[in-house]
Amino acid sequence: MTTAPARAAPVGAAGLVVPADSGVVTVTFDGRRVWSLRPDLDGERVAAGWFVPWPPALASYLHGSTRVRVEGFDDGRTYAEEELAFDDRGGRVRVVDRRNNPLVVNKVGTLSRAFDATDETTRHEILTGTARILADLHDAGVPAYLCYGALLGAVRDGQVIGHDCDTDLCYLSDHREPVDVIAESYRLERVLRTRGWTTTRMSGADFKVRLVLSDGRSEQVDVFAAFHVGHRFFQLGNRSGALTREDIVPTSTVELEGVTFPAPARPERMLEFLYGPRWRMPDPSFRYDDPVDGVRRLDGWLRGFRSEQPRWNRYWASPDARSVPHRGSSFARWVDARMSLVRPVADLGCGNGRDSWFFAKRRRDVRSFDCSPEARVRTRRLLRRKGAPHDVRRLQLNELRTVLTEGLLLRGSTLYARQLLDSVDDEARRNLWRLARLAGGEAFVEFASGRARPPDVPGLQRALAADTVVAEALAAGARLLEREDIDGTDLNDRPGLPVTRLHLDFAEDHDE
Amino acid sequence: MSEPFGRLRRREVRARLTALEAEVQEQRQLSRRVAELTDLVTDLLVPLSQRDHARVEEIVERYRASV
Repeated sequence: MTTAPARAAPVGAAGLVVPADSGVVTVTFDGRRVWSLRPDLDGERVAAGWFVPWPPALASYLHGSTRVRVEGFDDGRTYAEEELAFDDRGGRVRVVDRRNNPLVVNKVGTLSRAFDATDETTRHEILTGTARILADLHDAGVPAYLCYGALLGAVRDGQVIGHDCDTDLCYLSDHREPVDVIAESYRLERVLRTRGWTTTRMSGADFKVRLVLSDGRSEQVDVFAAFHVGHRFFQLGNRSGALTREDIVPTSTVELEGVTFPAPARPERMLEFLYGPRWRMPDPSFRYDDPVDGVRRLDGWLRGFRSEQPRWNRYWASPDARSVPHRGSSFARWVDARMSLVRPVADLGCGNGRDSWFFAKRRRDVRSFDCSPEARVRTRRLLRRKGAPHDVRRLQLNELRTVLTEGLLLRGSTLYARQLLDSVDDEARRNLWRLARLAGGEAFVEFASGRARPPDVPGLQRALAADTVVAEALAAGARLLEREDIDGTDLNDRPGLPVTRLHLDFAEDHDE
Repeated sequence: MSEPFGRLRRREVRARLTALEAEVQEQRQLSRRVAELTDLVTDLLVPLSQRDHARVEEIVERYRASV
């Protein structure tokens, strides 16, 4: 049965208007929930109540028409139900992933698949997989426990929460120094990898474990560290406050849809710490209100080594990246005329792989590196399409341990880095020189220099002072063989970008 | 006209606080670097040293003499 709208509440292409006294609001498209919101947090006050714009995560999906229903989560009041055409493209609005799984806006504002749109078999697979990861963490020696939404569901009624989208795990570290907490998280990730799990590191104290489901899809399970520094409790993501060790260990157990999980010793204390005193009341629009100084500490201790990566990922996944040519760049030709014939080439910051292919075509052994998974996919795809060998690897220049190990493995290779130095921070640049020193051969770099800001990719590249870069390279043990300051080309081969090209030699015996 | 002393002082204190916060954050970032080095030493260099102890001893001896 459809309830009549309680008050006039228009929905439009820009957003929706709900009455001033509305609490949590749920929005469905053609009967399927896509978004839950808090008007007082998400909207702005207007004469008729609150105007709430469509969230950015939905923007690219809002084409065609849909039947929009806006209703109060607590009281079921219908504020609006009407057919809405976002544009004249025709067809229905479909907020789904590549496999047609429905997506909803989650509590961090991105889109994910919610449990209420996941069938029972898949849910069971996710839960048993999560329990296996927990068991592996226990074997590795840490008291790990189910946390966040999955713990909330387990304690409330033993069922997953429909609007929740993933399972999160935490473990309580014995360490009280951030350095040791990070080193422990590295160790745990290594243990899980040796047990066959695929992982992705998110910060110094959390990583994701990929759970491959039987239908080929995969889910990411977060493994967060929890620890005390002084009397203050910290738990990744960004939580901090007062919770004692005794609230967490020794772990208890909870049941979630028939699967048994370790849980904090006093789950209710944990839930109150996470969701406040009203944690028993369902609230799909819940958002954390983390203490700012706690977040600042966590940022300082644990984060910052992959800050460029999301921006480059977005760039390589965007339509803009399609205009980047596949033919070799002018810098690749410049280098080709100068580099040793026999040495393998390491293409650092390979982007779409255009120059890796250029060198591979000339029968050079090429190893390609990029921090962005999207860029690595593009490079792999290009090389595969051309029938060239492909050895494409992750390189996180802000992560010293990967820099040092790759440096050792690249011993004797020629390093090639086109417009990489200008898109990383100072620490990453210093690490690149460390890597070059370990590789101990020639290095060719090109970077935006001079006053002009590089066009096309605002926020991704910045012009560097060429003399400073040269001085850094020399201080790191390089010999400058050649320098050229020219009017070069940008990522799309468009002219007008002042660049500096350097030919450096990092061989240790050059002054003997 | 010159700025009243109290306001000038407040501005100075605020600027100093901002600078201090940035400096503290800089120090916090050392945690991750130290952890990475610790990880590298314990999981890469230690197993390597068990492989060719004589050669490692020679290099360590040389390093020791240089510090």
